[in-house]
Amino acid sequence: MSYASRQAELVAALVAGAAVPEGFDDRLVGAARQALLRKRAGDVARHWPLLAAGLGPDWGGTFAEWAARRPTGGSLRDGWDLARSLAARGPLPVPAARELALREVRWRYDGNRPPRPRRLPAVRRVGRAYAVQVAGRVWLLGADRG
Amino acid sequence: MAERTEPRPPAEVPGYGVGIGWRPEISGFVADLPGIRFVEVVAETLTAEGPVPAPLAELRGRGVAVVPHGVRLSLGGADPVEPERVAHLARVAEALDAPLVSEHIAFVRAGGLEAGHLLPIPRTREAVDAVVANVGRTRAALGVPIALEPIAALFDWPDDELDEAQFLTEILERSEALLLLDVANVFANARNRGGDPLDLLDRLPLERIAYVHVAGGAEHGGLYHDTHTDPVPPAVLDLLGELSARHRPPSVLLERDGHYPPAAALRAELDAIATAAGHPSIT
Repeated sequence: MSYASRQAELVAALVAGAAVPEGFDDRLVGAARQALLRKRAGDVARHWPLLAAGLGPDWGGTFAEWAARRPTGGSLRDGWDLARSLAARGPLPVPAARELALREVRWRYDGNRPPRPRRLPAVRRVGRAYAVQVAGRVWLLGADRG
Repeated sequence: MAERTEPRPPAEVPGYGVGIGWRPEISGFVADLPGIRFVEVVAETLTAEGPVPAPLAELRGRGVAVVPHGVRLSLGGADPVEPERVAHLARVAEALDAPLVSEHIAFVRAGGLEAGHLLPIPRTREAVDAVVANVGRTRAALGVPIALEPIAALFDWPDDELDEAQFLTEILERSEALLLLDVANVFANARNRGGDPLDLLDRLPLERIAYVHVAGGAEHGGLYHDTHTDPVPPAVLDLLGELSARHRPPSVLLERDGHYPPAAALRAELDAIATAAGHPSIT
């Protein structure tokens, strides 16, 4: 196997849930995988502080479980994808719902390509949090405002 | 690439004493350090076209050297380094009027996947050839010297042909690069992968050191992790002392990337580094 393929095999084992390549120490590569997930969770928490704070002590575990087989699309998109998948399962804590609603109303993000600023006015709801955007200005509406 | 028979001596880089990695979160702290003469900035956090961030421009105005530190070139990748990434590093170095740039002996992506971190390459002839070729491509686009940093890794490849000192020396000599020696990485590797850190110091080409990194870390599950978010352990400062007794590094830089402590604690860390390396305090 070529050197390039062996590098690819190793990265896939670390970030995409592939098997540890032959000859490598399972325990140590596993420790590196966990360390990468911790670092990634910290990076995503910086981009999504209210999402991370809303999950509190469960943040690290929730993120690691979600991310273990998902290679990163960058911290902004990782947090966005996770927030959407959590919101689809059940209500997000209110500050986290607002954080997501504000991002959704400001940016267009299809889950595949990098988010792009919205040109047109928009209204988005996440749980009980409503966000409105007109000409780049953003308002949070409804009972959860504050 | 053919091996050079007579490696040229490394380019001259001035000594700046103790510095710190500039991050937006500690911008005010850095600006308030009375003796600061050099900082490092993560190259990928700057745009090549836009103006230099105001706090960095202010430091430049005070004569503080700013060294762009690349983390995503993937010099150790089996494939050629991406020309746009090299061009970005070169433009950032120019905008900062940097005396040098630095990057890692590592790869960060392969097969279309981003690792999100610096990964080790095997200590083989093939891997050395790939790094040397990539450093050559990078140097061709840069107007200043490049320093290469050996990384901290938790695991080894199964097919090493060279030991760490042979591997690093060959890469530095053949690529005519300077050394950015991270004593925390040396400590971490010795702890986790075995080997004597002092023996490594004795066998590395210390005269090639452009500057030294110092950082903190913590234990997790029986391994030492080079987190950059924890205090610098005494053992890392001891290793800096051992290095300085052999060859005093011209500049030493503290890397802190999060969980920032109160200013007094960070100043105490900078002072401890100055003492261990025999440089004047900058606080």
